[in-house]
Amino acid sequence: MDDMRLTERALDAGTTKIMARGVQVFYGDTHALRDVDVDILDRTVTAFIGPSGCGKSTFLRCLNRMNDTIPVCRVEGTITLDGEDIYDRRVDPVQLRAKVGMVFQKPNPFPKSIYDNVAYGPRIHGLTRNKAELDGVVEQSLRRAALWNEVKDRLHAPGTGLSGGQQQRLCIARAIATSPEVLLMDEPCSALDPIATAQVEELIDELRANFSVVIVTHSMQQAARVSQRTAFFHLGNLVEYGETGQIFTTPRDPRTESYISGRIG
Amino acid sequence: MTVSVLLFIILAIGATGYALGVRRARAAAGGDTRKLHSLTGYHGQSVLLFSAVPALVLLGLWLVLQPLYLDHRAGAMIAVADIPEGGSLDLVLADVRRVAEGLDLLVASGGMTEDDLAATGAADSDLKARLGGVGVALAGEVGEGVFEAARDYRHATHGLSLAMAAATIAAALAGLVFALRRIGTDYRARNVSEGFVLLLFIASSLVAVLTTVGIVASLLIESIHFFRLYPARDFLFSLTWNPQFRGGSDLGIWPLLWGTLYVSFVALLFAVPVGLLSAIYLSEYASRRLRALAKPAIEVLAGIPTIVYGLFALVTVGPFLRDWFAQPLGLGSGSSSVMTAGLVMGIMLIPFVSSLSDDIINAVPQSLRDGSYGLGATQSETVRQVILPAALPGIVGAVLLAASRAIGETMIVVMGAGAAAKLDLNPFEAMTTITVKIVSQLTGDTEFASPETLVAFALGMALFVFTLGLNIVALYVVRKYREQYE
Repeated sequence: MDDMRLTERALDAGTTKIMARGVQVFYGDTHALRDVDVDILDRTVTAFIGPSGCGKSTFLRCLNRMNDTIPVCRVEGTITLDGEDIYDRRVDPVQLRAKVGMVFQKPNPFPKSIYDNVAYGPRIHGLTRNKAELDGVVEQSLRRAALWNEVKDRLHAPGTGLSGGQQQRLCIARAIATSPEVLLMDEPCSALDPIATAQVEELIDELRANFSVVIVTHSMQQAARVSQRTAFFHLGNLVEYGETGQIFTTPRDPRTESYISGRIG
Repeated sequence: MTVSVLLFIILAIGATGYALGVRRARAAAGGDTRKLHSLTGYHGQSVLLFSAVPALVLLGLWLVLQPLYLDHRAGAMIAVADIPEGGSLDLVLADVRRVAEGLDLLVASGGMTEDDLAATGAADSDLKARLGGVGVALAGEVGEGVFEAARDYRHATHGLSLAMAAATIAAALAGLVFALRRIGTDYRARNVSEGFVLLLFIASSLVAVLTTVGIVASLLIESIHFFRLYPARDFLFSLTWNPQFRGGSDLGIWPLLWGTLYVSFVALLFAVPVGLLSAIYLSEYASRRLRALAKPAIEVLAGIPTIVYGLFALVTVGPFLRDWFAQPLGLGSGSSSVMTAGLVMGIMLIPFVSSLSDDIINAVPQSLRDGSYGLGATQSETVRQVILPAALPGIVGAVLLAASRAIGETMIVVMGAGAAAKLDLNPFEAMTTITVKIVSQLTGDTEFASPETLVAFALGMALFVFTLGLNIVALYVVRKYREQYE
C-alpha cells in the first residue's frame, strides 16, 4: 500500500472493545511490561510492533489470560472487555478465551482431521445443535479463512498433512469457528512464505468486518498494510499508540521514529 | 599360552600400531600434518583396526572351532566297545576331557613327568587314585580307549594352543605391516577407518540378530522332538493339562494359555488406568516439585524384585481378597487366585505404564496445549482431545511393553495364583500360566527325553510366537498413528 495514502485511510469511529489501564507484567522478578494503557477499538485491526523482547507478545497474551498457564507470571492493572474486568475473580478464563480467540506464531494444528480441527471449538463450547449445523460452521469458517477450496475434498485428512501456509489458515479457521469477538494473532505470518503471507493479510483485512483483530508483527510493512491503529513497544514500555498513518508518517516519539526508520531494533 | 595373555598381546600390538601409524603419517607429511588427507589420528586408528580386529576375529573363531575339532578327533578314537551300556558318546567324551584335564594337572603338579605319561597305560592301577589326588574324580575305571583318547586329546590341545597363539599374533603383525605400508599423504585413512567402523557396527547388530535366531532354532528343534513324541493336535486343541510322569499325560495348552491371558488381563486392567491417569496427573497437573518427588517414588516400584511382589501376594493380598471378597461372595475359599496374582502384577506394571506415558505426554509440544487453551478448552478437555490422541502411539507402546512383561511374569503367578492348570471364568479360582509350567516341567528329577519335559520347549515356543504377534500388532498400531500425527 502506498505510504502516501496511509493518512487518508478510512477509519471506523469504532467503540472501545478492550481497555487496558496501568498493566504491569512480571515474570518472577523480571518486570516485563510497565504501565501499558491501550484502547483497542471494535472492528479494527490493531498492530503491535517493536523489537524482540519488548513485551508485545506478553501484552497480547494478557488479553485472553494465556499468561495464566505460565506459573511465574503475574499481571497487575486492569483490562476490560466490553467494560468487564477480565481479571476479575468471577471471570472464567475458559469462557473469556472463547470470546477472545488466538492464533499463534507457529501453525499448531491438532493431530486430528481438518474437519475435527475446525469443529474443536464449537464442540467444546456446544455452539451447534446438530451435525448439519456443525458442518455449516466448519464450511463457513474454512471459507472465511480462504482454505475451503483447497481442502473441501479431503476434510477428513489429517490437518498436520497440509503445507505451512495452509496449516496457518487452518488455525485461523479454527479460531474463528468459535465466533470470537476479538482475534489475537501472535506473528501469524512469521513461518509463512510471501504468497501465504499475502493470503493471510488479505484474510485479516476481511476479518475486520466482524471482529476486532490484534496482530503482533515484526514486519513494519505488514503493520502498515493491514492495521488501522499501531502501538509501538520498546523495552517493556508502550512508547506510542495511535492511528497507523500517523505513527508511520509523523511519529511523536523519537524512539518510534528511530525504530521505523531502522535505527534501533 | 592362555587366552587372556594372547588378548593382551594382540591389544598391545594394536596400540603400538596406533602409535606407529601416527608417527609414520607425520613422517610422510614431512612434519606438516596439513598435507595429509586425513588427520594423523585416523591413520593410527586404521593401523589399530587392521592389526587388532582380524586377529581377534581369528581368535574367536579358533576358540569356537577347536573343541569341535578335538571332540571329533577323540570320538574317532573311541571304539563302540568303549561306550558303556546305556551311556552315550557324549558322556564318554566328557570323560575323555576330564581325564585329559587331570593328566594336565598331574604333570603341572609334578606328580608325573611327560616321559612317565608316555609310558603309562590305563592298566596302571593307581591312575584313578592319582587323578583323584589332583581333584579329578571319576565314576568308573578308566578304559584303555578313553585313556588313549585323553592322552591324544591333551597332546592335540597343546599343539593347537600353540598354533593358535602363533596364528593370531602373526595375523596381528601382518595386519600391522599391511596397514603401515599403506600410509602416505594421499592415503584416505579417514574413509578406511569409517568403513571399518561401519563393519564393526554391522557385526555387532548381527550378534543380536543371530542370537535371536539361535534361541528360536533351539526352541524349534526341541519342540520338534516334542511333537514327534506327542501329537501336535492334542497339544494345540486338548482342554486338559495333566502331566503324568509315568506316561499317558494330557498336555493341552489351553488351560495354561487361558491362565496366562486371564492373569495378564486382570493385571493390565488394573495397571493401565492407574498408570495412565497418574502419568496425566504428573505431567499436566502436578507442580514441578511434586513431580520431582512422585515420579522417582513410583519408579521405585519397578525396582522391587518380583519375588518380593510374590511374597506380598502370598501373605497380604491373597488372604485379604479371600476374607473380604471371595468368601463373602461365595466365589472360593483359597487365597491363591487369578485376582491376587493379577492385582499384584498390576502394581508391578504401574511404573512401566506411568513412567513411559509421562515422558511421552511431556514430549507433546506446548504449542498444541496453547492452541487448545487459546480456543477456550479446559485442561481436561485439552488432555482428552488433544494430548492423549497426540501421545497415543507412545502410550500404546507403553501398554504393550507392560503386556509382554505380564505375559512373561512367573514368580508372582507361582506365589499368587498357584500351580493348578484350570479353565475357569471365576477370578477367585487358582490358575496357572505358561511360564510357571515351563519351570515346573523342567525342574525336578525327570528324564529329559520324555514328552513331559520336552513340552516345556513347545510351551516356550508358543509363548514366543504369542509375544511376537503382540509386538507386531504394537508396531503396526504405532506406525499407523505416527503417519497420521507427524
